[in-house]
Amino acid sequence: MRHRNADTVDPSRRRFLKQSGALATAGLTVGFYLPQAVAAGTAGAVDTGEMTDRFEPNAWVRVLPDNSIKIVVAKYDSGTGTHTALPACVCEELDADPTQVEVAFPEEPFLEAYKHAWWGVWSTGGSTSIRLNYEPMRRAGAAARAMLVSAAAKQWGVAPQSCSTSNRRVTHAASGRSVSYGDVADAAAQLPVPEKVELKEPSEFRYIGKIPRKRKAFEKSTGRFPYGIDVTLPGMQVAVIQRTPVINDRVQAVDASAALQVPGVRDVVVVPGRPDIMGGNQEGVAVLADDFWSAQQGRAALQVRWRNDSPLAGFDSDQLPAEQAAWLYNNNAMLVPTMTQGNADAQWAQAETVVEADYPGYYKAQNPLEPINITAQVKDGGITFWGGMQVPSWALEAAQKIVGVSKEKTTLNNRVAGGSFGARENKYWLLEVAYLAKVTGKPIKLMNSREDEMRGLFYHSPTFHRVKGALDAQGNMTAFKLRAVSPRSPEQWEPGYAQRPDHMDYSTTEALRAEGFAYRADNMDIGWVPHETGVPTGWYRAVSFIPNVFAVESFIGEMAHAAQRDPLAFRLAYMQDRPRHAAVLRAAAKRAGWRQTQPADTALGIATDQGYGTYIAVIAHVVKTTQGVAVKHLTCVVDCGLAVSQRGVEEQLYGGLMWGMGHTLYDKLDIKNGEVVQSNFNNYLVPRMSDMPTVEIEIIEGDRANPTGIGELSNPLVPPAVANAIFRLTGERHRSIPLALDRV
Amino acid sequence: MFEIEVNGVQHKVDAVSDDMPLLWVLRDRLGLTGTKYGCGGGFCGACTVHMDGAPIRSCLYPAAAVEGHAITTIEGLSEHGDHPLQRAWVAEDVPQCGYCQSGQLMTAAAFLSSDQPVNDDTITAAMAGNICRCGTYRRITNAIKRAADELQEPF
Repeated sequence: MRHRNADTVDPSRRRFLKQSGALATAGLTVGFYLPQAVAAGTAGAVDTGEMTDRFEPNAWVRVLPDNSIKIVVAKYDSGTGTHTALPACVCEELDADPTQVEVAFPEEPFLEAYKHAWWGVWSTGGSTSIRLNYEPMRRAGAAARAMLVSAAAKQWGVAPQSCSTSNRRVTHAASGRSVSYGDVADAAAQLPVPEKVELKEPSEFRYIGKIPRKRKAFEKSTGRFPYGIDVTLPGMQVAVIQRTPVINDRVQAVDASAALQVPGVRDVVVVPGRPDIMGGNQEGVAVLADDFWSAQQGRAALQVRWRNDSPLAGFDSDQLPAEQAAWLYNNNAMLVPTMTQGNADAQWAQAETVVEADYPGYYKAQNPLEPINITAQVKDGGITFWGGMQVPSWALEAAQKIVGVSKEKTTLNNRVAGGSFGARENKYWLLEVAYLAKVTGKPIKLMNSREDEMRGLFYHSPTFHRVKGALDAQGNMTAFKLRAVSPRSPEQWEPGYAQRPDHMDYSTTEALRAEGFAYRADNMDIGWVPHETGVPTGWYRAVSFIPNVFAVESFIGEMAHAAQRDPLAFRLAYMQDRPRHAAVLRAAAKRAGWRQTQPADTALGIATDQGYGTYIAVIAHVVKTTQGVAVKHLTCVVDCGLAVSQRGVEEQLYGGLMWGMGHTLYDKLDIKNGEVVQSNFNNYLVPRMSDMPTVEIEIIEGDRANPTGIGELSNPLVPPAVANAIFRLTGERHRSIPLALDRV
Repeated sequence: MFEIEVNGVQHKVDAVSDDMPLLWVLRDRLGLTGTKYGCGGGFCGACTVHMDGAPIRSCLYPAAAVEGHAITTIEGLSEHGDHPLQRAWVAEDVPQCGYCQSGQLMTAAAFLSSDQPVNDDTITAAMAGNICRCGTYRRITNAIKRAADELQEPF
């Protein structure tokens, strides 16, 4: 979910190694070590010139004598397909069917090597899993294959070059000999790891781009797949926490007597708030019971008196747009420029037309369907966690700061979770469960109810965009100015990030910096104005792309209208040196019938963007109905370089479009008097099957050497495409999400 | 104490209040964790099971009230995980995170056995009560059609 502009990792800093130490067993194990990238100024922690036992790989492949293959993937798969696509990259070069290999999370011990190359924490997100690991994973597979071939060739006394491989076998065609990988695995392990390996040409791929389905489809279709919520341990107690209803309030007094009378309830514990930790938990009162239902009954009987001294007691999120707009003119406001060219402010006086518009954006909740839960036990001077931990570094932080336990004494049993969308990149629940495990000494399963989940804060940030543009007498865009007002992202939780001298927050300025902003005018002045609300905000699928793309693409639509130009032609006119981007726009227009005359009750609206290295365009087909307007069809075209899994890319884009329909129709979380208003799916709606238009997706592979990000691409495009279509259909311009289609 | 029949097996359930929902009896007492908790209010469908073949929201249904009725959960939808819908779910690669899929399958199974015509409109009407946050709706529709086609083939 994070975004960071960084150079790719220097290839010279990558090393292969044969596994040694704790993980060494029979067979061949080849690891690949990818040290921290240098982009953010944090040098790799180790000198790649020394290969010693302290090197541990962060991706590795093991070929066992029984010819089975195990691939360790340090990336989290909350349904996004990383555990399918990343092993396929290894298997492609290894020549092994990726559906026949075992995939595992990293085993103990937890190592510096697993830290994300850009962020300095062990995490999954930012649509980077394939982008950053495509080549390293392939190289690991190629190195293992080369060693297996060498071992077989040595046994046969033939040249390795005369051997071929296919589906876990080495074959020497000239002599008709063939051997399984498993049979030469031990011999291969005695050979040196090659310094250089040859990778296949994309035209030679057998598996990449041809993956039929994801792993675990059967288990997930039979109720057998184990999620965090299914963890059960001997002596375990289930905890629910009544967190402060008013944000940042604190506990004054607790009367637990009635709660403790509820059958099954075992204990009531005040959980201190940790405002001293970035991303820390709110104060609350935990009810511990034999099971979730009993804990919930106990919570209902709990009498908590709150201090009622929170500075946020009067907070009203509907007042934020006015507050954020006023902040633009406050002397204490800071401007972080993201793109500057010429002098935009000098153009307004001489312009033929000046267009101005404001685009407010509100809080949104992630709502993964499996509410957050996590199990922990403090025992024998260490702590063990069970559950879905998308950012294992936060579990290590909780162990250290709450329990005083080092990472060497921390054990993580990671499970795939029922969705994240940013929610599982938070850490408040890890801090809470660590505290409860510490004070009780028992295995504790902390569970959010749906209401807890929706009121758990760390929402998508509220934003306010003010945009201004100038046109000359010929309708040419001569100036573009944008101010985005929003809080700093949780990227500041990461080590060293808040100390950046340029104050830049890459996750807040997505699509607004020069490398991603598609349009060029002679005078451009784009910048971010940080504005904190005191309400904790968090990660969210596509983060700031959502409000930033909505403002930019809506405003470009407004400018095209003012210039009396076709919205597609207007966009293409201001794109420079972006042939792949323009091709995506043209392909979408062709597929959607952009140039065809539409019936009177129908209009098309377009939006486009570049994100995570991928180019995307969405065209919304909107029709008038008896109840306003409806989105009838979405056309989505991307160029993601190369699709490691065509069907994986397609389903991520479709899921994103569904999220985009959620933004378009529903996503708005309100806070009144410091309390979250919504509580469940009856008052915070999410898209259902009945909300989905028909969808057409086209995948263009414009650079098969470089697959790019895909998980967070399509949702930001839907609201501006629909808003642009509504304008062309009705003349009404809708400038905030959700778009309230029934009131058009 | 009361008795409930789940997947053809009689279970004695004791030491729970009469209003404990079926969902938590299934999950926390009988260890049948395939049925999932999503919202506790009947809004999301993750907890859908069958009572005498009809879909119910087990998060709202007091367990004591199902005495005398036959409950089927995802674990009992088929003996070997090979119900035509389950095979179609795998063939179409429906699950992403997978958390909602037990409920989706139970709703779809009740729909297919209801003798309604199978088309986009009837599928959407039947499935609109089940939320998927990953966005598998299109593949769910395709999988239901695939299973329906298979069921219509003569033996």
